[in-house]
Amino acid sequence: MKITRKSNTLMSVMMAIGLVGCGGSGEEQSTIVPEPPVVTYPAFTDITAAGGETTTYDANNSGHGFSTPAPNLTENELALHLEGDVNFEASFTTAPNTAHPALDGLGPVFNNADCNSCHQRDGRNSTPFLAANETRVKLGSAAGIFLRISKAPDEVCTQGTLENNYCAPIAVPDFGGQLFHRGVLKARSDWESNAFVGQADVYLSYERSEISYADGKVVQLKKPLFDVENPYDAPGETKQSANITSNLLQDDVLMGWRNGMPVFGLGLLEAIPEADILANTDENDTNGDGISGRANWVFDAIKARDGVAHPVSLGRFGWKANTPSVRVQSLGALRGDIGITNPLFPDESIAGTSLHDAYLTRTGFVDTGSDENGEPEADEAFSDAVTFYAETLAVPARRNVTNSNVREGARLFEHLNCTGCHVASFTTKTAGDIGGVPMSDSLKGQVIYPFTDMLLHDMGDELADGRADFLANGNEWRTRPLWGIGLTQTVNPQAGFLHDGRAATLEEAILWHGGEAKNSQQAFMVLTLAEREQVIAFLMSL
Amino acid sequence: MKFTYSVIALSLVMGLSACGGSGSDETTPTTPTVPDNRFSFVATEMITNLTDEVIVAGYADLATKGEALLLATQSLINSTSQADLVAAQAAWKAARQPWEQGESHIFGPVDSLSIDPHLDSWPLNTSDLQTQLNSAAGFDAETIKGWNDDVQGFHTMEYLLFGDGVNDNSKDIAELTPREREYLVALAEVFRDYAKQLDDAWQISHNPQDANALPYAELLKGSGAANNTIYSSELAVIEELVNGMIGIVDEVGNGKIADPFGDSIATADTSKVESQYSWNSLTDFANNIIGVRNVYQGEYTGQADKQGIIDFVAAADATLATRIASEIDDVILKIQAIKGSSDLPFRQAILDADGRARVQIAVDALSKLQTSLESDVLPLLSKWKAS
Repeated sequence: MKITRKSNTLMSVMMAIGLVGCGGSGEEQSTIVPEPPVVTYPAFTDITAAGGETTTYDANNSGHGFSTPAPNLTENELALHLEGDVNFEASFTTAPNTAHPALDGLGPVFNNADCNSCHQRDGRNSTPFLAANETRVKLGSAAGIFLRISKAPDEVCTQGTLENNYCAPIAVPDFGGQLFHRGVLKARSDWESNAFVGQADVYLSYERSEISYADGKVVQLKKPLFDVENPYDAPGETKQSANITSNLLQDDVLMGWRNGMPVFGLGLLEAIPEADILANTDENDTNGDGISGRANWVFDAIKARDGVAHPVSLGRFGWKANTPSVRVQSLGALRGDIGITNPLFPDESIAGTSLHDAYLTRTGFVDTGSDENGEPEADEAFSDAVTFYAETLAVPARRNVTNSNVREGARLFEHLNCTGCHVASFTTKTAGDIGGVPMSDSLKGQVIYPFTDMLLHDMGDELADGRADFLANGNEWRTRPLWGIGLTQTVNPQAGFLHDGRAATLEEAILWHGGEAKNSQQAFMVLTLAEREQVIAFLMSL
Repeated sequence: MKFTYSVIALSLVMGLSACGGSGSDETTPTTPTVPDNRFSFVATEMITNLTDEVIVAGYADLATKGEALLLATQSLINSTSQADLVAAQAAWKAARQPWEQGESHIFGPVDSLSIDPHLDSWPLNTSDLQTQLNSAAGFDAETIKGWNDDVQGFHTMEYLLFGDGVNDNSKDIAELTPREREYLVALAEVFRDYAKQLDDAWQISHNPQDANALPYAELLKGSGAANNTIYSSELAVIEELVNGMIGIVDEVGNGKIADPFGDSIATADTSKVESQYSWNSLTDFANNIIGVRNVYQGEYTGQADKQGIIDFVAAADATLATRIASEIDDVILKIQAIKGSSDLPFRQAILDADGRARVQIAVDALSKLQTSLESDVLPLLSKWKAS
């Protein structure tokens, strides 16, 4: 990086020398020609290959930008990737489905029936919209957003141990750690009046506000709020009910929105050497830039499976970096979001809850999550392929890098210290495993530009969900990778930004930054309109 | 990257040349010869035409067919006439046509508004469907929109209209129960609503939340405008269209046909056949590739010639442009030929030795077309000198 930066500066100097040389060809040798200021640009300014050799140039302008296989896969790897692609789009149905046994096992409660519905075209999900004249929308089959839930802990968990379940969020009794708002037809005991309803109904509404720049420009903002009603353990009950009996509606139950995230480039993020991520931690802000950066240390189901005594790893994925690998993240979502058990997570996530027990009894134990041989609903081959797919989607090449506004935006991006968290570049490791298996050669030794430090940062009260997740506190979020962000709405025109999709534009997303990012947000706000547009132009080039 | 460096190099060369010119020698400055294999093409008319006359026209047709399908199902409510059922089956097939042709450009609102899974989910959940038909549940459209996608959409309507498709694709109207008729009407209403929403998204506002948002058609036609966060250039639109063509050719060859086809008769799996109840599979597949032809040629079959991707390709390589057109036509013919002289539906053809040979011929043609699009057409994007 530094070498490239020097070469950029060198080129500017060379050109300046060229101009001076021309001036010197005249007669007035004594005239002092002022040297033009040497403007230096960050090393990432001219970079197009954001994903190293995994970068795609065939689809980086269009809605296919997140959906192409890494071009450096071997033939066998490409076949596995394409098999995973089919799995990613597979839509599951209620068990038993004798005509389609490979695709049954949905739920019995779930958030969506396939991967693609929450990661539309491998990107973000659509932001729910309200019908005309309505103030809220009930989440159904079109929703790619859901709520994580947990009980408020008695004390802050700072050191994961077997006894404290490695600081994992505390499950809500009889519900779990994720609210499944959808169900198979007979998921609930009251299914005849609540067909296809999950653990509870979830409604989304918006709180609107606005923010103004010094130049008078006003930006409208919206923040999604939730109402949870009609829980299965107390049908019809709401937070406004006189006598609340549901476990879900108790005051100490914490809830937070989660949107689906893009799934390209994930293998590269997992291949960033742990030491390189930890090198950017600055828990006590010793450099005084207002930015700390903390690692999350999370339970690792693969280490637990393999009998590792302290099954904890660096958290890398999820909005709070609460999963350590693409494999744990993907198969956890397969079991959780869709309700498809698999070799890594062989039990339904709601196993042991009253809903599950009653469902099994009512439906004759035909949808237990495993077959007569004890095999889970998705087999090893399915799991391996879908994991590999998410590990090896190409990163779209940057666009318009020679555009002067994009270049100025790159300079401002660094000047505003956005790079304090959105660290431009890493080099992936050259050997080893990811997700417990040997990594693909395609991911090794790649110089990548994800624009994330993979660490947790306090993003302020406005963005906080108040839910701790392993070592992440209620204000902390993992820095989102920014690669590909300029294609977000090309891939899905209805997509929003941030963990709950509240920002309809990149400008809104910047304006929501608080906490450790407040200085950068305020520095952005005092830029001129033209400069702000340059920052956005840079982001759109990613 | 190459472009960046060549610009810098050129600047330096120009700087040096200017210096050289300050001397007395009148030597002609030498500029490096850069091989230029790029081609010119003014894409505006093509993009406008493909947007309005192919994509928007197709979705408008789908909305119209959705209205017709609703009327056809409503006429079944108290009918004892077999002709009414046949008419409803025909209305379903008629609606299927623009939908399948539209799969050659499956981007934008059809995806962002989740209309694709709502309308075309597969497989069905016939057991939940039967439970609901046997229940006392009300079948109004708004309620059904809240139900799972596997009990609504095209294929649920198909199942109710045509039967299970195992031995035949005909059904006696007397077999249609009152609850099935009631459910069909509700499903057709849901279908009509989504088809209209899709049409509106392209013609009125692409964001149902914001009536002032641009129609999606304008985002394609107005690529590169400052407020267009979706298409940054005409290149982006062409890339979208070409990759869309490749996507459906891939899906038909490697998914829709290959998955049920298997390696042999023993591994063929009819449960994976699309539109297996109506035996409309081969028509579906052919319509998918006719959709490719629509985008490539720029007009629907039989209409006056207008600009399509073929004109973009021809600007670079006229021979290639003609070859691709032939390969598309060939695929359509090979798919249509799968039925053979005994008019086999696809689900039977994959269980028949001669049928399988014809399927393989179609798969080979699809594979050839996919390779041509990926290896010969896609690279033209980087050789295009946009005006």
